[in-house]
Amino acid sequence: MIRFILADLRRLWLGGAVVVLLVALATALGVAVTLQERSLRLGSARAADKFDLIVGAAGSETQLVLSSIFLQAAPLPLIDGSVLTKLSADPRVDWAAPIGFGDSFAGYPIIGTTTKLVAGTTPGFAEGRMFALEGEAVLGATVNLPLGAEIKPMHGTAETGGHTHAGQAYKVTGKLRPTGTPWDRAILVPIQAVWHVHGLGEEHGHEEEHRNGDGHHHAHEGKEHHEDGETHVEGETEEHATPVAEIPAVQPAKPAFALGAASSAHIEEDHHGSIDPDALIVETFGPSTPGLPAILVKPKTIADAYRLRQEYRTGSTLGVFPGEVLTRLYATLGDAKMILSAVAAGSQGLVAAALVLVTVIHVGQRRRQIGALRAFGAPRLSVFTIVWLELFLLVALGIGIGFLIGLAAAQIGAQLFAAKSGVILPVGFTREDLRLALVFLGFAAILAAVPALLAYRQSPATALRA
Amino acid sequence: MLSLKIENLAVAFPGLTAPVLAIDHLEIAAGSGVALTGGSGSGKSTLINIIAGLERTRAGHVFWGDQNFADLSEGRRDRWRAANIGLVMQDFHLFPGLSAIDNILLPARLSRVVTADLVKRAHMLFQTVGLKRPEQHVETMSRGEMQRVAIARALLRKPGVIIADEPTASLDLESGEAVGDLLLSVAADAGSTLIVASHDPRLIERLGRRLSLKGGQIVGDTQTGEMAA
Repeated sequence: MIRFILADLRRLWLGGAVVVLLVALATALGVAVTLQERSLRLGSARAADKFDLIVGAAGSETQLVLSSIFLQAAPLPLIDGSVLTKLSADPRVDWAAPIGFGDSFAGYPIIGTTTKLVAGTTPGFAEGRMFALEGEAVLGATVNLPLGAEIKPMHGTAETGGHTHAGQAYKVTGKLRPTGTPWDRAILVPIQAVWHVHGLGEEHGHEEEHRNGDGHHHAHEGKEHHEDGETHVEGETEEHATPVAEIPAVQPAKPAFALGAASSAHIEEDHHGSIDPDALIVETFGPSTPGLPAILVKPKTIADAYRLRQEYRTGSTLGVFPGEVLTRLYATLGDAKMILSAVAAGSQGLVAAALVLVTVIHVGQRRRQIGALRAFGAPRLSVFTIVWLELFLLVALGIGIGFLIGLAAAQIGAQLFAAKSGVILPVGFTREDLRLALVFLGFAAILAAVPALLAYRQSPATALRA
Repeated sequence: MLSLKIENLAVAFPGLTAPVLAIDHLEIAAGSGVALTGGSGSGKSTLINIIAGLERTRAGHVFWGDQNFADLSEGRRDRWRAANIGLVMQDFHLFPGLSAIDNILLPARLSRVVTADLVKRAHMLFQTVGLKRPEQHVETMSRGEMQRVAIARALLRKPGVIIADEPTASLDLESGEAVGDLLLSVAADAGSTLIVASHDPRLIERLGRRLSLKGGQIVGDTQTGEMAA
């Protein structure tokens, strides 16, 4: 029987190929949507895995997560440096590390942080070592630079009209093992260096000179200017209003950390500091710590995590669990997936209807053959099985190929996404897909039964006469 | 080796007032050869369908030996036909894409009755009908060769009856004659009852008995010559 079916399929290979193709494409569409959505969910959840609690300035939770975990360039409001001081001293906190962004090099974001964060969120070094001096940098796994390379930070990014910080350069001392997160694309430098590049921080006092040189907004003069009625940039007035009055010297420079040309335009000119490449890095953050876009907090226990988040959700700070924010994002993503799935299901329905049409016509054309089979003694059940199996084989083959195409498409999509964002999307089949495949096959079995029943019910004498 | 007895058979199609076939009584002896003649509309094809069990007998009795077709369900009629009747059609109804030998074995395979002996018999029959290459695909054969394959297929399960519907009509003179010879000789060798619907005078005159049909009635029943045994 199999030989007969194969001979038949060989004879009708062109039509068969079209049926397989139709089914494969319709299946692939649905499969790709499912796989892509799932991998996006898993991949981003994994990216956020090491980020227990993030504290930023009051504002958008989503933006805080997107910027600190996915390193998405966007201007963020800053929190006062004293928050980091307080968190570092908190007994419920294992460690807390600043995340300072704003600069980039060759399209890779430069992140100012601490050795603790590097050690705590990555699986170690592939080569080289941790930064130890202010002028040293560590590369994420996918940053395509050699050890010893010089990195000249650019403020913002080239696309947004950033400019290179003149005379500043980091030397690459190490390369990390891959984490499968956007941080693989990052160049990690001591936060202290970032501050100094932007003329912040207390150690060297560069910022004082610069501000004076520019002849405007030395912090102590700020108030006077106000009273004089002199026009100020909006941002500055707001900054004066922030509750942290004890370190006014650094306040006006806050937006320097925010990515994007717009926010930094007014300060481009006025506060370039320089790093001292040979200075040892200091990772205790005193009261005059400059403002920060985000702080990653590693609480000691889950209960601590909840308490800390609660505490830092008031007033000017915002504590978020990235996982929770992502879950909310997925809910939105889920709606989009539903629409895509509906579209995919619609196309599958169309294909199914087309298949029924094709096979009913096909059976009509084969009436004589089927009648002859019966006349020469093939039992009705055999005839039914032949017609059923022929169509079922085609559709099953199409479904199989469709799953592979869907997998390939999702993988290509994931690769494109990974190249762009650094988030590695784990594309793979799960038990759920097996169920989907079984549902598809079951449907194919029912579909194939329609022409098979037609053939079954046909009287051989009538069929032969046709 | 089965005898046929038909009693009070009437076949009518809806929408037609006169029955297309009405036979009060007909007997065909086991092992005899009978030619069915008659123009189109004579009821010849209908009679073939009825005695081959391709069409249901609604009124009357059709006995092959002791078996009354009217009593059988469609499935059992199919099975009985597969085991006892060898069919040879004008259009051969071979299946392209399969080799000659696979075509001979196909109905038996679909009925799941193939044994090693049956495969051996298929090869033997293949030689009997005068063919050489069992693996040749049927679509590459000449029409005469195709009909030989069809005859071998009909003989595979040693049927008691061979029913041939215009077996030579689509063949040229020469291969028609050869196929006619073959049919007569294999039926004689096996002792099978042979019923042939035909227009071919040379084939008709070589069968022992001739039944003429017209308007659904048997209008002539003559013994002819050589095969009357």
